[in-house]
Amino acid sequence: MELIDADLVARVLVDDDQHAFGELVRRHQSSVRGMLRQLTRTDVALADDLAQETFLRAYKNIRSFRGEARFSTWLYRIAYNCFREDARRRKEFVGIDEEQLQAEQDPQVVDSALRHDLMHALSLLPLHERSAVLLCCQNGLSHDEAARVLDIPLGTVKTNVLRGREKLKRTLAEWGPN
Amino acid sequence: MDEISEEDQLDRQLREAAPYLDDNGFTARVLHQLPAPGRTRRSLRGAILLAAALLASALAYVASDGGRFLIVAMTRLAALPTLWFFVVVFGSGILVMTAGAVAAIVKASELQS
Repeated sequence: MELIDADLVARVLVDDDQHAFGELVRRHQSSVRGMLRQLTRTDVALADDLAQETFLRAYKNIRSFRGEARFSTWLYRIAYNCFREDARRRKEFVGIDEEQLQAEQDPQVVDSALRHDLMHALSLLPLHERSAVLLCCQNGLSHDEAARVLDIPLGTVKTNVLRGREKLKRTLAEWGPN
Repeated sequence: MDEISEEDQLDRQLREAAPYLDDNGFTARVLHQLPAPGRTRRSLRGAILLAAALLASALAYVASDGGRFLIVAMTRLAALPTLWFFVVVFGSGILVMTAGAVAAIVKASELQS
């Protein structure tokens, strides 16, 4: 009998059951670490540090999880906040280095071996579009859930997903066989 | 229609392109960093349960005129024929054992999951 996330959360709340929390970490570590790897542009060490911070914060603040959203959605929000705070500390957040990074990773000079790599194409998107595409298209969140995770209006999420998708398609088409 | 299926295809490709990341000790590292579990909460819960049980016993004792119902029940039990006495004792034993076995099975399946 597999317990659902809500049961495990209840055990953590009632019994301070760290085994139950461990099970939650095991279930969600891949998606949280994967999302952070994309947000940090595949900086694996930084992404894993942020993922650890995410789960530690989740444990300390688990009483604030009211079960209105899915546990994974709540985790993504914490992960995104961890990333945003770290990026602010590093002064690399939205827009500041985006143009430079965009120039550094021009699709025209990308190694041909990576041309069909969708994940690489995703990493070329600006942060606001990348995070929206990651959450909605890759992790299956609804636009509404993604808006709550990213703390931006619903309309902005929809626009970012639309633009992100368009850019991905364009990039992949450019990399595709002539 | 084509645009929608194109979007679906892109989403599917994105999901498939995201590799499953093996744990590789990640969970253990997180658990290692968690603060020690609060013993006070558990012991407090135990104390509350014990206090409630004692209070309920005291109330039952007072309400039953000093536990007279127990003396009456024991007298009735002692007056039963030997066979009936055996049936009551055996039935009670089976009932308690079944309840214990069910509780153990439920707990074991929870721990296994």
